[in-house]
Amino acid sequence: MPRTYQPGDTFTHVRECDRYRPIYYAGASGDYNPIHIDPEAGSAAGLNGNILQGLCTLGWVVEAIAGFVEDPGRVRRVKARFSRPVRPEDTITFQGRVTAVQDGRLTAEVSATNQRGEDVLKGAVVEAFIR
Amino acid sequence: MALDKQFIGREYGPYRYTLGEEKMREFTLAVGGAKPGAGTPGEPPAHVSPLLYDEQAAKAGPHGGLIAFPSFAVVFAIRPFSAAIADPALNINMQMLVHGEQDLEFLDVMRPGDVMTTTGRIADLYERARMGFVIVTSESRNQHGTLVVKGTWTAIIRG
Repeated sequence: MPRTYQPGDTFTHVRECDRYRPIYYAGASGDYNPIHIDPEAGSAAGLNGNILQGLCTLGWVVEAIAGFVEDPGRVRRVKARFSRPVRPEDTITFQGRVTAVQDGRLTAEVSATNQRGEDVLKGAVVEAFIR
Repeated sequence: MALDKQFIGREYGPYRYTLGEEKMREFTLAVGGAKPGAGTPGEPPAHVSPLLYDEQAAKAGPHGGLIAFPSFAVVFAIRPFSAAIADPALNINMQMLVHGEQDLEFLDVMRPGDVMTTTGRIADLYERARMGFVIVTSESRNQHGTLVVKGTWTAIIRG
């Protein structure tokens, strides 16, 4: 029996931004902006150290929905506003809630908060095929 | 930050990018939490789908082969956005720029060897609360001409 999905269903994904994650992500993505890989450059830009690439956090949202629908190839859309930086040694909790299921496709809202309970993303929405 | 509306509609690209299997794997595992070392992308953490890095498992899976992690698309689809914000005509102070919002739509899976062509344009430029907003849209098509990834990229220029 294929799994079924309903509005109100929830999912959770927790990720830690380890100390070198911004550097690993820079290597893999090509985003070497100094504010991500150099704490001094981040401080000079008024960010109090280096910060993780927002697109890596967005990648974690994709992981969250990909795990929930059990296939990354089903992910159809991801959208978010970057509201607060993620820093090395932050732990981010992603909580998703299905808002609609229609025509073999689900939509979910996702919140992303750090270990202090502060939102790092706003208005995050994902869509995925479910068959 | 004054942004000149005459640049709305300015186009960037086409940019061509060929998806390499090992690069796809590296990206998947870097996002997934692996610790890369010389010559290896690192050990895949348990939550990472084998469809993204294990050729054998992927062959038996729903797509009949390896696929890219969806947001791998940013590696190539970002080009028009980076070109726009660095465009001397716009005269943006990069020190003051932050990535404000991102919207990515995935219309098909991406596989090793796919050749993606990305084009983009400045969709909007405006000022709000003394900050500048630069909105760039992108479209990436594969070698069959199929639209695979649509992006909306928003940069915010502080102050």
